[in-house]
Amino acid sequence: MGLFNYNIEKYSPQQLVVIPLVLLVLSLAVVAFFMATTGMPVTPGLDFSGGTAVTIRTTDSHDQLRAVFADYPLVEISDMNDAKFIKFGTMDDATSRSLSALVSEKYSDASINQISETFGKSLQYQAFIALIFSFIGMAIVVFLSFRTFVPSVAVVLSAFADMVMTAAAMNLGGITLTLGTTAALLMLIGYSVDSDILLTNRVLKRQGKLNDKLTGAFHTGIIMTSTTFAAISVLFVVSWIGSIQILMEISAVLLIGLVFDVLNTWLTNVGILKWYVLKGGGK
Amino acid sequence: MVRPEGRWEMNAKEIKTIVSDWRVAILIILIIGSLIAIYPHYDENGNLASNLQYGLDLQQGAWIQLELRAEVVGFTTDRPLNDFVGNLSKSLDADIELIDANHIEIRKYFTKEELEAKFSEQGGTLTSYQQGVSKDSAAHIKTILENKINSMGTKDAKVNTLAGLNNVVRYVRIELAGVNMNEAQQIVGKQGKFEIRVQTTGNQSEHVVFGDKISSVQVPEKDLQSGSWGVQFTLNEAGAAEFQNAAIKTGATDDPDNHELMMILDNVTVYSAPLNDRLATSLKTEQVRQMIASTGTGTSGATAATNLEIHLRAGALPVDVSIAGSGSTSAPLGERYKAMVLLAGVLALLMVGCVIYYRYRESSIVLPMVLINASEVLILLGFIAAIKFQLDLPTIAGLIAVLGTGIDQLVIITDEILHEGKVPSPNLYLKRLARALAIIVAAAATVVIAMVPLVLMDLSTLKGFAIITILGVLVGVIITRPAYGRIIMAILSK
Repeated sequence: MGLFNYNIEKYSPQQLVVIPLVLLVLSLAVVAFFMATTGMPVTPGLDFSGGTAVTIRTTDSHDQLRAVFADYPLVEISDMNDAKFIKFGTMDDATSRSLSALVSEKYSDASINQISETFGKSLQYQAFIALIFSFIGMAIVVFLSFRTFVPSVAVVLSAFADMVMTAAAMNLGGITLTLGTTAALLMLIGYSVDSDILLTNRVLKRQGKLNDKLTGAFHTGIIMTSTTFAAISVLFVVSWIGSIQILMEISAVLLIGLVFDVLNTWLTNVGILKWYVLKGGGK
Repeated sequence: MVRPEGRWEMNAKEIKTIVSDWRVAILIILIIGSLIAIYPHYDENGNLASNLQYGLDLQQGAWIQLELRAEVVGFTTDRPLNDFVGNLSKSLDADIELIDANHIEIRKYFTKEELEAKFSEQGGTLTSYQQGVSKDSAAHIKTILENKINSMGTKDAKVNTLAGLNNVVRYVRIELAGVNMNEAQQIVGKQGKFEIRVQTTGNQSEHVVFGDKISSVQVPEKDLQSGSWGVQFTLNEAGAAEFQNAAIKTGATDDPDNHELMMILDNVTVYSAPLNDRLATSLKTEQVRQMIASTGTGTSGATAATNLEIHLRAGALPVDVSIAGSGSTSAPLGERYKAMVLLAGVLALLMVGCVIYYRYRESSIVLPMVLINASEVLILLGFIAAIKFQLDLPTIAGLIAVLGTGIDQLVIITDEILHEGKVPSPNLYLKRLARALAIIVAAAATVVIAMVPLVLMDLSTLKGFAIITILGVLVGVIITRPAYGRIIMAILSK
């Protein structure tokens, strides 16, 4: 494997954790800023804030579309490949009906989704609870499987850093929190600890020199992340070509999360683990 | 025939040993089973078809989510329960269902503040407030909607109630395949035509009242004396007058047995019975607004009563609803999405194969890995087809993630076994395989745990995604990883 060389042994634990630590602080600041301004750590999208989204395949320009939907509370129009996404604010039943009639009359290639504000709010609350419980559940599994404090904390901390950095990146990249991206974040909670568990397991439960074990774990771990990255990249590209918004959002969040996962596993987690072993922990 | 002398060329005997290993055998059986369940075939139009069912984001259809405008509230009172509930019902002008000794369901929308005031007026205290209905009422509402949709001849309709963690159901989601939004709204909004007629002579009958004269319908009740089930309904003033006139005119009051009353919903007779003597006698002299249609004793009587209640309501729900969400996908868009996700799946598998090849440079390792990986997705799809689960876009994202992460675990096994580049002795091999499986099980457990909250909560469409993801992990850990361990050992020991 010579894709890139990374000598874990060269750096001290302090050097390893400094970059992710700075990034984590910055990300926390971004998330806190959004929390303070919007009330949610990540800007809620249509599923949670309520409103109507219309997807159509059309060559009409934005201005033409604005004219067509002049009677409705249009919020924004965005492009994705050959499709247009038109977002509307909340409206009453009658307006919503006439909008869906207008869309199906003018565009055959359309999909419409409408969520009321109250339903969005209750979904948002549940999604939030789901994310918190997922994270706690994951942490419990990690603690049960290693039964040593510092290494377990290292894994959980890496996963936490992953989530916060991904959330910050979503805010900066304009990806909103929807049902789809919630699913992606939940997948990240589960999958991002894969490589951390591999690393910790190799280092703590195997004989041999620390540096050899770290290098070995890195070799296996990086290929694991690469395969997942490859599969999800394909999903991202294809969903862009096919203008399938929900899949594009899910895959974008997963890709961002995987990049941070590499960083957090092979800098944060390795750093803490190395410090722990050098101090005489783990025999 | 010229055959290249490959390193991993196997003879028949070796293949037989591998296949007869139970781990490999189970895998093969499941793959065949999945292919049967999916049943890919060409339909009469020559299009590729399968048993897989698709969600409404992948095929033409519409969904409507209704919010139930009712509350489940907890309360305490010093007054007798029946008095309190009766008075409350009157003062709120709303139907009230008793759920248990300190919870009631109010079938009309009120804010918490409004209810607090009314409760203290009647000598009680409101202790909790949740919008929605009880699970029993939700099941009832579901039946009404299903009956209504079925009577319209709509196929592929699904009605799901979304219960929160507290067992209160606030939302009902209706999915209708193959229709557009306007049709869906018409189907859900449409009321049946209900009519009461009275028998004149033989097969002849005469109109009495239409359903609009029925002002309220109660839930089925059992008469404690006779043990017979029945549904009480109330006619409005005009209805009661018409009812009395018709009963006297046709002679039903004098000879009830030859002049049965018939209830007809959309031209189908759903109930037919004579007036009972007491009712017949009182109708001669006065108008009667409240009456009970009895349906007999035992379970059959109870079922008949439940159905009759639905019919009496003519498809109207016991609570008001508002539309909380809706969506539709057109046929061409659904087709396009389907083609795209198929493409994404195949390309993802190829990409994963390329990455693995880049790492191991050995087709004898890469090929089994990719095939095992593909078989995992195939088994999942087979399962999805078998349980008639609807494949939607988030679930497909989950399946593609399974492709990416499933192979991770095969990499863990391979690297663990190939540790230090040497092929181990069988003993050492098993030890290393066990060690690899320990890592995999821990990693799998985190994914399962992370998805559990979604399975327990009714977070709209994400429940299916979570179930499939958990299933994917389980199929991997229980079936495909052990089989891969066995196959790779046979290949490496060559």
